[in-house]
Amino acid sequence: MKDTELFDWLTGEALRDDIIRLTQITVATEITNLDAIHESADPKNSFDWQQLLLAGSLLARSTERTHQEAALRIATAAVTLETSPEVRDAGAVLLEKLSNRRSVELAIRRNRIAPDLEGRLGVSMRLEANRRRFEDSILLESSGKWIGVNDFQRELWAGASSGAGWLSASAPTASGKTYLVLQWLLDHVRTSKTKIAVYLAPTRALVSEIELSLKELCQSDTGIEITSLPLTEVYFSSTTGDKKAVFVFTQERLHLLVNLLGEDFSVDLLIVDEAHKIGDNQRGVILQDAIERVSRQNPMMKVVFVSPSTQNPGELLEDAPNDMPKTSVNTDMPTVLQNVILAEQVPRKPKEWSLDLVWGDSPIPLGTLKLSNKPAGLKKRLAFIAAAAGGRGGTLVYCNGAAEAEDVALLISQLEGSEKTDDQELLDLADLARKGVHRNYQLAPLVERGVAFHYGNMPSLIRTEIERLFRDGKIRFLACTSTLIEGVNLSCRTIVVRGPRKGRGNPMEPHDFWNLAGRAGRWGNEFQGNIICIDPKDEKAWPVGVPKRSRYPIKRETDVVISSTDELAAYLENRNIDSLADLAQGEEFEQVGAYLLNTYIRLGTLSDAAFAKRHSPDTLRKLDRSLEGISALINITQDVLVRHPGVSAVGLQRLLEAFRKYEGNIENLLLAPSESVDAYDRYVTVMRRINANLYPVFLPDSLIPLHALVVVEWLKGLSLAAIIRKRIEYQQRNNRSFKLPVLIRETMSMVEETARFKAPKYISAYMDVLRLFLTEAEREDLIDEDFDIGIALEFGVSSITLLSLMELGLSRMSAVALYEKIARDDLDKEGCLAWINEHGPNFAGMDLPNLIVRETLQVSGLDDPEAGHEFSE
Amino acid sequence: MPAKPVEIGSLSFARKGDANDFFRDMLYKYELGDKVTSKDAEILTHLMHMHPEATEKIGPGIESFSVRTADYGTRCFWVNRVDGTTEKFSFRACY
Repeated sequence: MKDTELFDWLTGEALRDDIIRLTQITVATEITNLDAIHESADPKNSFDWQQLLLAGSLLARSTERTHQEAALRIATAAVTLETSPEVRDAGAVLLEKLSNRRSVELAIRRNRIAPDLEGRLGVSMRLEANRRRFEDSILLESSGKWIGVNDFQRELWAGASSGAGWLSASAPTASGKTYLVLQWLLDHVRTSKTKIAVYLAPTRALVSEIELSLKELCQSDTGIEITSLPLTEVYFSSTTGDKKAVFVFTQERLHLLVNLLGEDFSVDLLIVDEAHKIGDNQRGVILQDAIERVSRQNPMMKVVFVSPSTQNPGELLEDAPNDMPKTSVNTDMPTVLQNVILAEQVPRKPKEWSLDLVWGDSPIPLGTLKLSNKPAGLKKRLAFIAAAAGGRGGTLVYCNGAAEAEDVALLISQLEGSEKTDDQELLDLADLARKGVHRNYQLAPLVERGVAFHYGNMPSLIRTEIERLFRDGKIRFLACTSTLIEGVNLSCRTIVVRGPRKGRGNPMEPHDFWNLAGRAGRWGNEFQGNIICIDPKDEKAWPVGVPKRSRYPIKRETDVVISSTDELAAYLENRNIDSLADLAQGEEFEQVGAYLLNTYIRLGTLSDAAFAKRHSPDTLRKLDRSLEGISALINITQDVLVRHPGVSAVGLQRLLEAFRKYEGNIENLLLAPSESVDAYDRYVTVMRRINANLYPVFLPDSLIPLHALVVVEWLKGLSLAAIIRKRIEYQQRNNRSFKLPVLIRETMSMVEETARFKAPKYISAYMDVLRLFLTEAEREDLIDEDFDIGIALEFGVSSITLLSLMELGLSRMSAVALYEKIARDDLDKEGCLAWINEHGPNFAGMDLPNLIVRETLQVSGLDDPEAGHEFSE
Repeated sequence: MPAKPVEIGSLSFARKGDANDFFRDMLYKYELGDKVTSKDAEILTHLMHMHPEATEKIGPGIESFSVRTADYGTRCFWVNRVDGTTEKFSFRACY
C-alpha cells in the first residue's frame, strides 16, 4: 500500500465516522446558543484516542490538504476537548509535527496543556522534538536571534534569501506571510548592500499598518529610515549617506516619488504585497505600471511578490527581465481549522436555525441555534444569527455596503450581551468618533457597547483603532463591508455572511469568498475559525450556492482587457470622440487603453512588450493598428506621459490643444492656491476642463461645485469634522433636507474618492500639460516649481507644518487637530517635535481626543513603550 | 414714459434692460475664477464708480476684476483691490 493510499483509507474509511463525530463536538464548542447534536458526549471515553493520534501523526506526513486538515482536526480536538492530560500532550506533539508551534503556545496560554511539554516526553520523543524545533527555526543574521516558523515560512525565507531575483509566494491568509516578509525585509536590508527598499501595499490602510509594524520591529535601529511619504530627502540621505531606507507605498505614491526623482530613481528591493491585486479593475494597471516603471529603471532589482491563496503565483514572474533567476513558493496547508457552517431556518420556527458543517458533498449536522427574537427582514436575520452564534466575540458580520453595516451593527448593539461599557479605550474611540466626524455619528454609541462598523472611506485613525480593539476582543461584533477583502489585515473568530456582494452589487466570486472566509481563525489566537453562511439554498443570496473552496487565479487586468480585443480596438479608435460625455465603456477600457497607448508610443509596437508573449500575433497586430492612428495625434513628450499612468495620452493631447486655442488671459488657466479667494472657482473651472478634455472624471457635471468645494477644503487642511459641519450648514442655509448618516458617508466618500484619488490623478496631469503649454507660450514665469499638487492632494495638506507632522508618522486626522493649535505654518520635523515636547504636558487642557494625544506621544517617542501595537497575520 | 437711457463711460444704452443684457453676457462669457480682460475691466471700472457704495467697494484702489461665485451658487463680478482684498458687487446696483 502506498502512503497516499493509506492516508486516503484512514480519512475516507477507517476513521471517517470518528473524525466526523470529533469534528461535530469540537465545532459545537465554538458556537453559543446552540443545542448541539452530541450535547452529552464525553470526549474522554467515547474515542480511541491512541488510534486517532497515531493516525494523525501518519497523516501529518502527507502533502495533501485534506490529510493535513484531518490531522489538524484530530490534534485540535485532542487539545481543546475535555480529554486526559496525556491525550492533550499527544495532541500538542501532533501540532508540532504539523509545524504548528503557534497553536501549541496557544494551548499553553489557555492552560489546555501544562508548561514544559518537553520535560514530559520520553527521550526519543524529546530528541525528535528538538530536531523539529531546530528545523522549524530561522536565524536572523543581523541579530543572531532565532525565530520559529512553519514549513511555508521556512521555504519563503529560503527562496527570498537565495539567488533568485524575482520571487512569488502564495499561502492562505493565516500563514504568517506578512510577519515573515517583514522580518526578512529588515534582515535583508541590514545584512546586504541593499540601500533602498520599497514595500507596495494596495491600500492606504495597509500601508499605515505595515509602516507601523516595521517601525516597531526596528525601534532601536536608527540605521533604517521607514516612511510612507514620498520624500526625496529620505531618498537622498540614503543614497548619499550611510542610512538605508524602506518606503512603504501604495502604487500611486510610488509613482509620486518616481515623478519627483525622474530617471535617477534607484531601488534595490521591491516587495509587492497582495500582489493578486494586479488584476483589479482601474488600480491594477497602475500597480503593473509602477512595477514595470521601476523595473525598467532598475533591471537588477530584487522583487518579492506576496499573495493569499493563489493558484498561479508564478504568473507574476513572467515579466521579469530576461535571465533573471525566478522562483515561486506556494502552499495550501491549513494553519487553523476553518469550519464552513450552513444556517437554515427550521420550518415553522423562525427563532430556530439548524446548523450544518460543510463536509465534502454531504453536510454534517451540528445542532439547532436559538435566537432570542424573531428575525423579520434580512438585516435582522444577519444581526440576530451573528449575535446568537458569535457570542464569544471576535465576530465579523459581512454586510453589503456601508449603510447596511451601520444598520446591522445598531441591531446587534440592542441585544443581550452588548451592555454599556466603561472601558476607557472604547470610550476614547467613541470620543474620537464624535469629535473627529460628528457628534451624532452612529459609531460612537455603538462602540460604547462593544459593537462597531467598518468601511473603506472612514478616516484611517478611526478605522485602525476599530481594528485594534476588535483584535483585542474589546469590540466583540464588527459589521464590515468588502473593504475587508480589499486589503485590510484583519482576522476573526467567526464570520457571518448572507449573499455576499463585492463592491456595488456584483456577487462575490468563489476566490473572493474564500479570501474572506480565510480571515476566520486567527492563527495563534484561536484553534478554529467559523464561517456561517445564512440561507445557503436561497438563489438570490447565493446564485451558485455557497462556493466550494477555491484559490485566486492571478490575472493581470491588462491581459483580461486585451483579450476583449475587438471592443478594446473600437474604444481606442473612438477615444478622440467629439464629446467625451458620449464615450462609452470607459470604466472597462480607459485605464488599460492609456497603458497600451503609452507602451505603443514607447516601443513603436506592442509586439515588443513583455506581455506580448501572452497574446496572439493577430491580437497584437490589430491593437497596433488602432494605436497607430491615435498615436499619430500625439506630440506630448514621453516623460510627461509616463508620469500619469492611467491617464490617456489622447486626453492629455486634447487638453494641450484646448490650451493652445484658449483666447482669454493665460493666467486664467492656472489653479489658485487653496487659501486664495478664487480657489474654489478656479477648481470648478479646471474640473470642467478636465471633464471636457481629459476624461469625464468629476461626475455628474452638476455636482462639480461640490467636488471642487471638498477638494479645496481638503487642501486647506480642514478636518473631516469641519468639512461635514460645513456641508450641514450649507444644507440648512438653503433649507434642504438631509439624512445625517447619509451626508456623513457621502462626505467621507467624496474625500476619499474625489479629493484623495481622482483629483490628485487628474489635476496633476492637468498641471503638467499646462506646464508644457506655458513653456511653449514662453510664460514660464507662471510656473510654480515649489508646489506639487499631486502630493498636496494625496495628503490633504497645504502647509509645511502639516506635512512635517505627517512625516513624523501622524495620521492626517491627528496632524490637522494639532495644526489647529500650532501657530506657525513653516515648521519642519524637528520644529514640530520641539512643539510637541513643549506643549505635550498641556495636551489635557486643549480638548484633544485621547486617541490623538496618544498617537502624537507615540510618534514623538514621549509615550509609554508598553502600549504596543499587536501584530496580526 | 420713455425709458431712461444708461450711460457708462463711453457706452450708452437706450434702457436699463439693454445694460442688464450687456453685463449678463459679459458675466457669462467667462469661466468661474477668470480675471476679465483689460477691455472689460475698463468698462467695469466706470461701472464701479457709479455704485452707490463706490468708495467702500473700491477701498484703497482697483487692481482687477474677476468672475466668481457668490455664496456657491450665483455668479457675480468681484473687484480685486490693490491690497489683495476682494469684494463682490452687483452690476444692477450701479445704474
